[in-house]
Amino acid sequence: MHTQGGGMSDKTETLSREKFPSGIEGFDDITFGGLPRGRTTLFLGGPGSGKTVLALQTLVSGAGHHDTPGIFVAFEENADRIRANAESFGWNLAGRQKNRLYIVDAQLSPDTVKAGEFDLTALLAGLEAKAQEMHANLIVFDALDVLLSLLDDRAAERRELYRIQAWLRRTGLTGIVTAKVEENDPATEQRGAFLSFLADCVVLLRQSVLERAAVREMRVVKYRGSTHVLNEVPFAIGPTGIEVGAPNGNHPEPQPFKERVSTGIARVDEMLDGGLYRGTNALITGSAGTGKSTLAGLFAEAACRRGERALFVSFDENALDIIRDLASVSVDLTLHLKSGLLRMEAVRTDSASGEEHLIRIKRLIREHKPACVAIDPFSALVNVGGEQAARTAVERLVYLCRNEHITVLFTSLHEAQDQELATLPLHVSSLVDTWMQITYSLCGGERNRALSVIKSRGSKHSNQVRELIFSDEGITLADPYSAGGEVLMGTLRIEKENAVRAEHERLRGEIAQKREEIHLIQLDRDLRIEGARREVQACDEELERLNRTSTAQRAEGALRKDEVVRERDSRLVREQTDGAKPAGGKARPAEPERVDGAKAAAGTPRFPAKTRKKRP
Amino acid sequence: MNSSPAASNAASHGAYVFQIYVAGGAPNSVQALANLYALCREYFPGSHRIEVIDVLKEPLRALEEVILVTPTVVKVSPAPRQQIIGNLSQEEEVLRALGLPQKEQKENG
Repeated sequence: MHTQGGGMSDKTETLSREKFPSGIEGFDDITFGGLPRGRTTLFLGGPGSGKTVLALQTLVSGAGHHDTPGIFVAFEENADRIRANAESFGWNLAGRQKNRLYIVDAQLSPDTVKAGEFDLTALLAGLEAKAQEMHANLIVFDALDVLLSLLDDRAAERRELYRIQAWLRRTGLTGIVTAKVEENDPATEQRGAFLSFLADCVVLLRQSVLERAAVREMRVVKYRGSTHVLNEVPFAIGPTGIEVGAPNGNHPEPQPFKERVSTGIARVDEMLDGGLYRGTNALITGSAGTGKSTLAGLFAEAACRRGERALFVSFDENALDIIRDLASVSVDLTLHLKSGLLRMEAVRTDSASGEEHLIRIKRLIREHKPACVAIDPFSALVNVGGEQAARTAVERLVYLCRNEHITVLFTSLHEAQDQELATLPLHVSSLVDTWMQITYSLCGGERNRALSVIKSRGSKHSNQVRELIFSDEGITLADPYSAGGEVLMGTLRIEKENAVRAEHERLRGEIAQKREEIHLIQLDRDLRIEGARREVQACDEELERLNRTSTAQRAEGALRKDEVVRERDSRLVREQTDGAKPAGGKARPAEPERVDGAKAAAGTPRFPAKTRKKRP
Repeated sequence: MNSSPAASNAASHGAYVFQIYVAGGAPNSVQALANLYALCREYFPGSHRIEVIDVLKEPLRALEEVILVTPTVVKVSPAPRQQIIGNLSQEEEVLRALGLPQKEQKENG
């Protein structure tokens, strides 16, 4: 393990010793680290192919920092033009001109007369002294072909090239040579071939017109002792210099899926189990007029409503048109534009190549720092500069956004009405985290918009096809109705909805009726219970009353009995003393009266209750 | 090495002033120097001055003066300044550059 670790550090050290990073985005990817250090790299290309810019940029931003001392030998343009060129890219040469960057004006005056053989000893001697003086480690021979054409002789040319090569080897400088090769010009092609033979690394630059757009491409033709990307890759000369569309560029670290971001339509979020994951991308495909732009606008609007910054890039459509379209479905973007949260950028696709558009979008992202980006439609990029360039542009945009944790919504025009998904433009499906498709569904003589989720990485999603409804109140998905295995849409759906509503209505009526009936029965029952309860109460009261009466009578009777007894006793006493008094008349009727009362109390209350209960 | 005889020759003052950039004793440089002497003797006897600069000894001077190749001859005066590159073996080119009449019989001299 120890030895392995040592070996690895040795290897990286060797790599950094072997390679001179150009500092140009993408270029160091296709060359696996940069130019061969201490050796010669050749940039070959036609006029205007970007050779000079590539060389100058390497010099300015090379070796991973901006302070590499270097010499730029300009055979074609003068030093002032080179400086102006650099300044147009924002590379400040003036500040570091003194000891860090030396531009050599190496154009012979036009009235120079050639009279016999010569060689490049003067230049090389001068450059060697200069390089030593400023400790330069990089040297650019820009447009060496211009110098070589002075020689007018192939043998002399080769001799001088060998001289330059030997000089570079001896000085140990990392060399960049640029030379023009023009197609169908055997002289320059032969020169290019010989230069390529001498160089350790050869990069071919090409500019062509594809579908009206200028497309720049480069290819590492040769790299002695190093692997490199073999394919031609697109590049662009943007406002800050060259960016190379390395296809296998820095792959982003996979972000853990956590936070959800709304698509702008609650029901679509539901289909996606809560929305898009932050930092991922979503693609909406659909044919013309399916509402892709509107959905993209909603996504941006939703971001702004959450207080996030959003960027909306529209290709070939006016920003005002999009604002108006969204206003028609009650989505107001003007508010967010005014607050500065939303930035809308309308771009004409034919104004630049896919690569240049990418650079522009990247600049917008850097400037606006959005949390959400909508690009509508990215498929427009294919219209200019071809598919490969557009694809790598999109790929790198996706990676950039993922690294920056930006959620992106792309739309893509899907001309073909085919339901087969293999024909996704640019074949970006593997890049896409969430893919939704809007199709026109033909049923019942209507076209209706149908939205379905084809894939959604890292979350469960609905498999349903749902109708997308645009209305004055906004945009939503209809409730899913299916009949015979088909999701109903449009009029059929409305009919179905009406039928369902009627059925609901009927059921509700029936239930209400039934409930009313039951209610009446309950009322009747309650009344009857109440009546019965009252009767029971009445009987109880009657019984009570009777009981009370009989008690009173019994007491009265007893009293009377006492009286009678007393009276009799007293009469007896009186009789004994002075004869009898008439008192028995009162005592005698009390006996039968008491018997009648007892009979009534026992019979009357029970009898009527029993008979009534049996009646119903 | 060749600069010392050249310097002594430059002592003779005249209307014509030349600078010649040489790369030490490289064959083309030696030849150019010889050709320049011959030319001056013939056309500007007693009225020329030749300054010899060895780029191997003064490399930065060559760079500042935008001298890319050796040998290079610069006619400093009379104006206009004129630059001739090469070993001066093509005499007619040299004569044309200096505005001198072509001499048929002197072609190989």
